[in-house]
Amino acid sequence: MFFKQVQRNAAKNRKGNGLFFSSLIIAIVAFYTLLSLGDQDVMRYLATVESDAVAKLMALLPVVYAVSLFFVFFLVYFACKYQTDSRRRELGMYLMLGMKRSRMFLMLFCETLWSSVISLLIGLPAALFLTEGISLATAKVVGLGIIGHHFSLSLQAIFWTVCGYVFVQLLSMLVICVGLSRMAPADLLCSGDVKKQKLLSGGKSTALFALGACCLLAAYYLGIFRMRGLDLMTLLVLVIFGILGTFLLYRGLGGMLGGRIRRRNAKAVGLSVFTARQVQENVLSQHKSLAVSSLLLLMALSCISYGISMVTGRSTSSRSVDFSLFGEEEQIDAALEKDGVREMVKETYPLYLSSVKDGYFRDEEKAFDTGEMEKALGAIEGSENIIENLHIEYVIAESSYNRILKNVGKEELKLSAHEAAIYTSIGNDGDFGSILSKATGSKISIGIDGISYDIRPTLYMDNVVADRAITIYMALIVPDELFLQLAGEPKAYCRNVSLSDTVVEDMGLMQAVQKTDALLADTGIEYDSYLGGIGRNLFYTVAASYLSIYLGVLFWLIANTVIGLKYLIGQRRTKRRYETLTMLGADAQSMCHSVKKQIGTYFFLVLCTALVSSAAAIFTMFTSFTKLPAGVSVQTVALLSAVALVIFAGIEMLYIGIVKRTAVREICRIEITDRR
Amino acid sequence: MNTQNQILQVDGLTKTYGKGGNRTEALKGITFTVLEGEFLGIMGASGSGKTTLLNCIATMLRPTSGKIVLQGRDISGFRGSALADYRGKEIGYLFQDFELLDNLTARENITLPLALHGVTAEKAEADMEALAAMLDIAGTLDKFPSQLSGGQKQRVAAARALIGNPSIVLADEPTGALDSKNSKILMDKLSAINRGQGKTIMMVTHDAGAASYCSRILFIQDGGIFHELRRNMQTETTAMFYERIVAVMAQLGGGSANVL
Repeated sequence: MFFKQVQRNAAKNRKGNGLFFSSLIIAIVAFYTLLSLGDQDVMRYLATVESDAVAKLMALLPVVYAVSLFFVFFLVYFACKYQTDSRRRELGMYLMLGMKRSRMFLMLFCETLWSSVISLLIGLPAALFLTEGISLATAKVVGLGIIGHHFSLSLQAIFWTVCGYVFVQLLSMLVICVGLSRMAPADLLCSGDVKKQKLLSGGKSTALFALGACCLLAAYYLGIFRMRGLDLMTLLVLVIFGILGTFLLYRGLGGMLGGRIRRRNAKAVGLSVFTARQVQENVLSQHKSLAVSSLLLLMALSCISYGISMVTGRSTSSRSVDFSLFGEEEQIDAALEKDGVREMVKETYPLYLSSVKDGYFRDEEKAFDTGEMEKALGAIEGSENIIENLHIEYVIAESSYNRILKNVGKEELKLSAHEAAIYTSIGNDGDFGSILSKATGSKISIGIDGISYDIRPTLYMDNVVADRAITIYMALIVPDELFLQLAGEPKAYCRNVSLSDTVVEDMGLMQAVQKTDALLADTGIEYDSYLGGIGRNLFYTVAASYLSIYLGVLFWLIANTVIGLKYLIGQRRTKRRYETLTMLGADAQSMCHSVKKQIGTYFFLVLCTALVSSAAAIFTMFTSFTKLPAGVSVQTVALLSAVALVIFAGIEMLYIGIVKRTAVREICRIEITDRR
Repeated sequence: MNTQNQILQVDGLTKTYGKGGNRTEALKGITFTVLEGEFLGIMGASGSGKTTLLNCIATMLRPTSGKIVLQGRDISGFRGSALADYRGKEIGYLFQDFELLDNLTARENITLPLALHGVTAEKAEADMEALAAMLDIAGTLDKFPSQLSGGQKQRVAAARALIGNPSIVLADEPTGALDSKNSKILMDKLSAINRGQGKTIMMVTHDAGAASYCSRILFIQDGGIFHELRRNMQTETTAMFYERIVAVMAQLGGGSANVL
């Protein structure tokens, strides 16, 4: 009987509060996704190449987990409070009918546990599905190939997800039960008290609002104009001003709204005065929640922006070389002939890359006459730094580079005797590539030993060796004969290896490279691998972007839940007002319109402060202590931020829409016959 | 005061709650009329059906059968905006527990029914000031309900019920939440409005003292009209009428046990 009642109540709660049940499921998904990070394909691979960094990241995860638990507690607390609040009468009745408080609390705890079990049964498979999706997507994005994907089920992650989730659920219920234990049955039976408005005089409200705005402006000023590098003292003052300003702003806002309503209400018709007063009351009674939500949204936007810029910064180009082997010809041949290696390899070719012979240096730095190039660069905005540092020290043989182009499926060069091409491996870094590309596109030539060589308009950027950490600022791709003439070291720099397409297709790139890597390691030869080279980049992508986006989404979720639930709890408490309005002749349509407007305004008040503050915060972040990563142009981040903002706005609208629908459903349920 | 026009006709009104074996007949075919300018009281024991009757007239309940005709229009057919208009314009309702919106000032509460029907507070200013003066609440108009006494709250609620100049004011135990001093002040004001402006008032009450202000009282028992008392307005004082009311209440079977 008792358990049946628990089940029935839990089911009723879920049905009545679908939105918040979904929030709880998202919390579960978030926990599992974070905790299973170490078991994802990419992290498993990174653990083999960047074990120290991965170990550090894994050591950081419990801290992030604890922070998440702290924030998710609020999400769960508000969801549970919303549910118990709507059952006050029922709980009061239980007490009046003679149910012991201890039994009532036991019932509530059992309901919570039962709901936890149901949400875990939905949330965990959803989380598994999502993490597998992320694992596959990350592998694809970073070019690891997807065939080698392994299904990963992290029992440890499941264990800690269940523990953490059930813990916050029970803790929330405990806090709520402590509150309930202090209430007499009569307090529970009344539909919920509306807190008396704490009225502030108009002058005091304006003063608080102005003080808050000043604090915020001071924080923005400190961030935008005074923050240089990670100056902890300035940062501390900025944070204190920011938080204080936000709280004061919302504290004074209620009174400000009151003044505005008073000025306008002589001409108001319909429910506009009521709507405005409802918003004002919410702001007056919930000013702390509004400030906290606004700050959470600010943190969410900052974290997500940071994460996006990191993703952009570490994105990798297509794979051109799988392995680069160094050493004597015989040594390399012997290694490649080894059992197992031969089957893995499609082809090998020597890479002729060398520094220019000393004799060709016209002065200390410049080997070639780059006058035309400097002139072309001079016409392009933002090229001053490039012109100052312009130097070409290396040459690459055309035949070697053609093999690389062939491997990435591009057309070969076919240079004529008096032609050359420019190569750089840092073309994706900021605006360097685009500026250089513009310069080469304007029909320029370079003088070598008095002879003019036309430069191909295309800038070549496909990596010449497997390890991306080896960068070449600028090199000249020249016909083989010229290479022999210019090269200081006419020997092959290394032997590049491409893996067999069939093997890659069968095993997946990650496994194929790992297997070859293991085989080559046994030969004792010196080599770099494609994956080893991008490992570091990949690690930063995962560590920085993944964690910051994760925290951002979590903050976002909690902020929205706090705003939404606080509003809906308030609406439920003031249900009687809507009944009175109906009696006074308000129709359901106008009340629904009023409710929608209240929710829209309520969210707007939180969002606008959060958006302005986050614009300042993001600007501060990228201009002072966290520079944009080297590979990111401002335009790309701006574009991505715009896209992210559109997505943010879209999801926010969706969430506001759901809250509106929930509120309208409650209004439509109001029948004044209820009064009986 | 014209007492010849019938403002409200209730004809064969029944209201049944529940189904099958659980049916409860709250009203069993009540018929009566209310004349314009009347101050009609409805009295009866708990569960006699008096509030059900008031709520049917106020459209808070839908009758099972019978007709309610206000100003020549059958209200049982009202839906949507016609119903909202009826509630806001044709009737004024005075609740036992005031039902003021506690986040609106007294002024905003009073003008709310007008605002709902497109009239601005600016236009209603003169009417509101007159009503506020009459009900002695002029000094409290910019206060919130939490800053008012019970008596002031009920008078603000009365102003809200009257501001739209409704055909009839329905009052459900208006003195139920007030002490005797404030009850008397409220009833004096309502009576003055009834006499001075000819406003029709229909009031449900348990309180014989409040009922003694009425010009006619219908006593209801078990869903039907049990007795009717008329006050001779020229010769009978409220004290005398009170005595007669108490006597009928004693006859009703429960005596003073029914008077809460």
